[in-house]
Amino acid sequence: MDVYKLVSLIAIAICIAMLLFQLLRLISAGNPVDYSKPSGSIRDGVIYSFTSAMSPFEKESAFMHLPTYVAGIIFHIGTFLSFPVLLTLIIYPKVFIESALLSSLGGVVFSAGAICGLAILIKRIVKKELRSISGADDYISNAVTTVAQALSAFVLLTGGGYPLYYIAFSIFLIWIPIGKTRHLLYFFYARYHLGAFYGRRGTWPVNRNINE
Amino acid sequence: MNKKPEFKQVDNKLLTHLNACVKCGLCAESCMFYKTFKEPEYIPASKVALVSSVYRRYNTLSGRLIPGLVGAEEMTDKMAERMVDLLFGACTMCGRCVKHCSVGVDIAYVVRKGREMLAEMGLVPETLQSTVDAAVQTGNNMGIPEDEFIGTIEWMEDELKDELNDQSASIPLNQSNKRVLYTLNPREPKFFPLSISAMAKIFYAAGESWTLSSKYYDVTNYGFFSGNRKEAKTIAVNLHDEVIKLDSSLLVLGECGHGSRANRWEAPNYIGKEYEFDMTTAVELIGNYIRDGRIKLDPSFNSEVVTIHDPCNLVRNGGLLNEIRFVVNSSATNVIEMTPGGNDNFCCGGGGGLLAMSEYNERRIKAGEIKAEQIRKTGAKVVVTPCHNCVDQLTQINHTYKLGVKIKTIAELVADALLLENNLK
Repeated sequence: MDVYKLVSLIAIAICIAMLLFQLLRLISAGNPVDYSKPSGSIRDGVIYSFTSAMSPFEKESAFMHLPTYVAGIIFHIGTFLSFPVLLTLIIYPKVFIESALLSSLGGVVFSAGAICGLAILIKRIVKKELRSISGADDYISNAVTTVAQALSAFVLLTGGGYPLYYIAFSIFLIWIPIGKTRHLLYFFYARYHLGAFYGRRGTWPVNRNINE
Repeated sequence: MNKKPEFKQVDNKLLTHLNACVKCGLCAESCMFYKTFKEPEYIPASKVALVSSVYRRYNTLSGRLIPGLVGAEEMTDKMAERMVDLLFGACTMCGRCVKHCSVGVDIAYVVRKGREMLAEMGLVPETLQSTVDAAVQTGNNMGIPEDEFIGTIEWMEDELKDELNDQSASIPLNQSNKRVLYTLNPREPKFFPLSISAMAKIFYAAGESWTLSSKYYDVTNYGFFSGNRKEAKTIAVNLHDEVIKLDSSLLVLGECGHGSRANRWEAPNYIGKEYEFDMTTAVELIGNYIRDGRIKLDPSFNSEVVTIHDPCNLVRNGGLLNEIRFVVNSSATNVIEMTPGGNDNFCCGGGGGLLAMSEYNERRIKAGEIKAEQIRKTGAKVVVTPCHNCVDQLTQINHTYKLGVKIKTIAELVADALLLENNLK
């Protein structure tokens, strides 16, 4: 195994260890105790939170900002797919070497992801109000994720540039639990808590029949 | 800054919401303050960042080692001033941004935790604190003396007897063993006593066994807004103990959004136990009267165009979307919705304790312009809302933006549609 792959494996281990630490801290902190009598179902609220409430038609953040929303979706698809691709390239690179179709497909997906990531980064730099609420973390998180995807695309499409790819991806992996990229973990908890909150109070799921 | 900021009750929920925001900024257009003033600081994500940056600085390794990289900030005097201005003066915790957040961050919850942190540091705006102090010291947030309150109730009772032409009609005070202990927003005896007689009329029609307390009738709890949990608990305990003392089985929360929320959803947690008695809101109680046939309504008595203003604490944060519509549609013939409405409704601008903080008056009235335009577009002549704080704010924007509408509580609307056995309205 070459040294760059080893660096990536160490980065993966550090990333997982740090995320596990945050997960354990979350679990050990415990859910808040609520003594109020529920008027709805927490279970139904949580299910709604992960399903209908995620619909772009339900959120202004989606339907009022469709280009950004679509770019965000593509960016996140690319991000999620880049992890198994990294593992495959470390453990069994033949999969991509032998399949031009898979390499091309991956290259297209990650290129699209990287372009979307770049577009979101440019938007943050150009728009005054976004710039004013942004700190170093916002730029770093976007940049390391975008670069990881761009280099994923590059290695799949050209078959070269592996040392740079492994190093860049390692930096991305180390940054995930430190920067706002940690929402990879907290996103799911946020949706859970939101569903539990609205579900307990009977706000979610939305029942549009006023006669009930 | 002498005192280190401390976060109480750091649980899974708080840790999650402090760490989940990605500052995409897409919440901006969901916030009435940002929409009105276009100030980047008013973007909800910016308010979350304020609280989480202070948390991170003092409670995480990365915040201590590389604060500049991870957005961790010292709690300086300037920072504290900024936090007070934005968390108390530019957020009503209405939660509209929460529903529309791309991630699902409970921004209002984070703001509330930020207020609690500021309260621990003694940084609650004086005007809001004085409202809490009045409630703690006198039993009601307006400091109304008990004899003055009793006088108002006796006056309303006389009016009720005359209106109903029934000398047995009453507004009972301090009576034990009644099924219902009813509560009021102190603005009612002080400024809007007719809403008390409207509810009394509904109780009369339903044949309800009910009473008011002359000491602890205040449904509000501004400790919920100030973030001082100790004082919020004191206020909650006063009302809880009064229900036990008068041996009522049902606490009915008067028409007050935050008061209903503070008692229904928060007070058991302030006190740390499940309540021994049941609790419901005035809207739900009236809804049940209608369903059970205990009151009869003729909606044609309210034939003007009516629109509903949904109080954030009762609808988005209280689940009463359909119940309010059921009661209003049973009481009026021509009901028109605002756009957006229901769970997506904009706050009137008076929530979050803003009505009590005179230093933000100008900002509050300006932010209310969104609501004013919503009302204007409906063409309604009557705005009905089950919240006295909303009534106050709506009355002010009605005047400022020359809307020419009548503002009513649900009880007032229902009372106007009541069919009484003796055919008296």
